[in-house]
Amino acid sequence: MGMTRVTWRRELAWAVGLLNLAVILGLMFHWPLVQASLKGNLATLLDQKRQERREVQFQGVKTLDLAQAYQIWQEKRALFVDARKAEEYQELHVQGSVNVPPETWVELPSSELMKMAKTRELVVYCSQESCDDALKLAKKLKAAGFSRVLAFTGGFRAWDEAGYPADTSR
Amino acid sequence: MSVSVMRFVSSVVSIVLGGLFVYGGVQKHLAPYEFAEAVLAYQLLPVGLVGLVAATLSWIEVVSGVSLILGCLLRSRRFSNPFPVGAVLRSSALLLILGQSLLFVAVLLITLARGLKIDCGCGLFMDRQVGPGAILEDILLLGVAGWLYWREHKAGDRKEALILIQSQ
Repeated sequence: MGMTRVTWRRELAWAVGLLNLAVILGLMFHWPLVQASLKGNLATLLDQKRQERREVQFQGVKTLDLAQAYQIWQEKRALFVDARKAEEYQELHVQGSVNVPPETWVELPSSELMKMAKTRELVVYCSQESCDDALKLAKKLKAAGFSRVLAFTGGFRAWDEAGYPADTSR
Repeated sequence: MSVSVMRFVSSVVSIVLGGLFVYGGVQKHLAPYEFAEAVLAYQLLPVGLVGLVAATLSWIEVVSGVSLILGCLLRSRRFSNPFPVGAVLRSSALLLILGQSLLFVAVLLITLARGLKIDCGCGLFMDRQVGPGAILEDILLLGVAGWLYWREHKAGDRKEALILIQSQ
């Protein structure tokens, strides 16, 4: 009984020691992130870092804001491509859009989409500003030969919040 | 199964479990801002604390994983006398892993119950949504860590603990 008590106390003390070490290392390596968060500037910092990362990762993919996406939709110039999961699409999606969920991207070369003219304008969107799926799919479609691919980075959340036309498949 | 075989199996399982935590932690450490976005999306913490959690959680995973692996490598008798550093490292790392796994399961269950469709930012696959798959993975980790912790404290494996008592 005494042995269990001693080992338990010793283990807990070491666990707290390891925890302290991890916290110190985390603070050392990521102090700017902690500082921005404590000062209430986290959203700005995350936006800036996301932008920087996307400029490198998705170089060459053109993007649209909400107003531009809505204008294109009104003019019926482009086909809207929903890059979210099938269940999210079925719940609600941009009116007239087609769904190309992430799990089907490996079969993209043999999909119906690839039978369309490669000059067809495509506007790809995913769920919200922070998701990368629209950019990822836009990059894949560009690589597959589509010359006019645009990523609407505000995503379905921005579209829905603006009250623009949406459909359900249920 | 003989004691030595079980000890070998638990060592291998410990090293794999430790490796998984190191891998998960390194992934988060290398993408701190994406991980902060994932933490923010859970809407469970005040924004002021999101940065602190995103910055430290990755290192808690790395430190507990490395400690567990190190504890297994220092299992040999020559490292256990006069103080069983390997046994204490293993047990304390397992306590940390148990705590983290419990926390992850609780957070995922709360998020699932709230109906939030967000990236889990957890485990081995960063691009995965909160759902039964992520919860099952964490329950599995919890079970494995619990089994290893129980093995550490089994009566037959208390030789190192006895050395610890003698060293007090």
